Amino acid sequence: MATYLAKRVGQSVLTLFLTITTVFVLLRLAPGDPAAAYAGPNPTTEDLERIRAQFGLDDSILVQYGTFLKGLVTGDLGTSFSFQAPALDVVLERLPYTITLALSAILVTAVVAIPLGVWMARRADTAKEFGANLLTITGQSMPDFWSGIMLLTVFAVVLPVFPASGFTSWGGLVLPTITIAILQIALISRMVRREMTTNMAAPYLTVARSRGVAERALTWRYAMSNSAIPVLTALGTRFAAMLNGVVVVEVVFAWPGVGSLVVRALETRDYPLIQATVLVTAALTVLVQLLVDLAYPLLDPRVRLAKTSKKTAPAVAAPEGALA
Amino acid sequence: MVFPIPHDTTPILEVTDLQVELVTADRVVRAVDGVSFRIGRGETVTIIGESGSGKSTTAMGVLQLLPEDLAVLSGSVKVGGVDLLVDRDAARRIRGRMVSLIPQDPMTALSPVHSVGKQLTGAIRLAGHPRSAARARAVELLEAVRIPRPAEQLDKYPHQLSGGMLQRVLIAIALAGHPVLLVADEPTSALDVTVQAGILDLMLELQERTGIGILMITHDLGVARLVSDRIHVMKDGRFVESGEAEQVVDAPHEEYTKRLLAAVPQLGTFEEVPA
Repeated sequence: MATYLAKRVGQSVLTLFLTITTVFVLLRLAPGDPAAAYAGPNPTTEDLERIRAQFGLDDSILVQYGTFLKGLVTGDLGTSFSFQAPALDVVLERLPYTITLALSAILVTAVVAIPLGVWMARRADTAKEFGANLLTITGQSMPDFWSGIMLLTVFAVVLPVFPASGFTSWGGLVLPTITIAILQIALISRMVRREMTTNMAAPYLTVARSRGVAERALTWRYAMSNSAIPVLTALGTRFAAMLNGVVVVEVVFAWPGVGSLVVRALETRDYPLIQATVLVTAALTVLVQLLVDLAYPLLDPRVRLAKTSKKTAPAVAAPEGALA
Repeated sequence: MVFPIPHDTTPILEVTDLQVELVTADRVVRAVDGVSFRIGRGETVTIIGESGSGKSTTAMGVLQLLPEDLAVLSGSVKVGGVDLLVDRDAARRIRGRMVSLIPQDPMTALSPVHSVGKQLTGAIRLAGHPRSAARARAVELLEAVRIPRPAEQLDKYPHQLSGGMLQRVLIAIALAGHPVLLVADEPTSALDVTVQAGILDLMLELQERTGIGILMITHDLGVARLVSDRIHVMKDGRFVESGEAEQVVDAPHEEYTKRLLAAVPQLGTFEEVPA
């Protein structure tokens, strides 16, 4: 277990290093000049050069990268051009808002999508399921910027039930959460439905029914336990993706999270801020994936007992070798 | 431990003119077409036939385990005198308590994420035993099906046991509710030949001790000859020949039965048959 953990942490560090290096290089290869973004209208060549020198952009990429790595070791990710503050602090200040929104959205998704998927599986191929299916397909087809604006118009403007933007009260959490959850519920519920129908047709379920196990227990204790791993993986992946900033939704609702921050940082070519955002969100993603992987053995004895023979571990094991 | 079933004149299972129609996408198939048979205390009745003959559908029909929206049953299936086709709830009440299933493939018949002990004690508790007594009874049942070191096996998961061991566990689970009838749907066809005899011996031994009735479904004449009191030969949803086991195997009347018997590979000197 300790070896496994050490190995996974090592892999994670390597992943983060490669991610941040790629971002560092790509940013500098991409067109656009940060100096021009800060110089104001009609800058002179001297102005631009002064700004470049101030930001350390007149050095070669290699030198810049060296400076960046030196800072990284001490936890200094540079100073944000636009905020004139340590980039890491700017990101960490925004992070709780994104985490709050992501947690809220994933909880709502799980609480709605799992029972909905089970409900659909139990009524598979009936008119009721067809209706529910139609709803989920609609949910899946609605772009989030559109459903977000519709929710805003109806519940913040026409009927001012919830605040339109920002996070001034807990009520402000409702509309962005729903906007994200609509799509996620559609995806996850259909996945739960698929897993449950497979498991409800499995031989062990018929055998359990033959010994008098009640339908409710067949559904929740047998089929659900056997569907838990793929469902948890999907929820974990979705949650990790949300932590990267729910960009569109954050912009629509003026949510002060990392999603709207990264948009602003990109617009102004704020290299240190972009790098800090990527590093922090990538670290969170890796952490969530690790937690999901660590949960597998709790849910499936075949993973738990296969640890002595890693080669034969089921396909649900960590995506090792991805970086090799 | 395993209690004997009281002597009674009512047959354990009485199936009369059972028809099963399966609804498929484009048509209705009559998978079972008017079969009748009965099983008394301590008897083993075998339905033998090829794949698609309707033998497993008959077994699942008796247990009422066919999907309700896809299978239409008519006739009568009486277990202990109660007609399951009239009283639909009765099937739910008697499953595990009066009738148990021994499935075809033990490797897929237990939930892979629950321990063997959990599934066995679950069946024991469904049979009305208190939680406190369940584990002790589970050990007793595993002893009854000749599983070595039963207490240790309870904490194992299905993938850690062999097919033969799992089939023994499934027989133990089937016995948990003191049933009067076992429906064995090709109980040995997924097992190694060396393990098959052990499972059949176990079933016969349990039958001797308890007087449990067995409905055996098989395509294997060797199995049928070994365990049966009576054999019904099934083809296209009908019984083409029925009779005492020796009579059907040794002196078949019907052409189909003769062909079925002739299809069994025989050990002997190798002779090339001219075309």
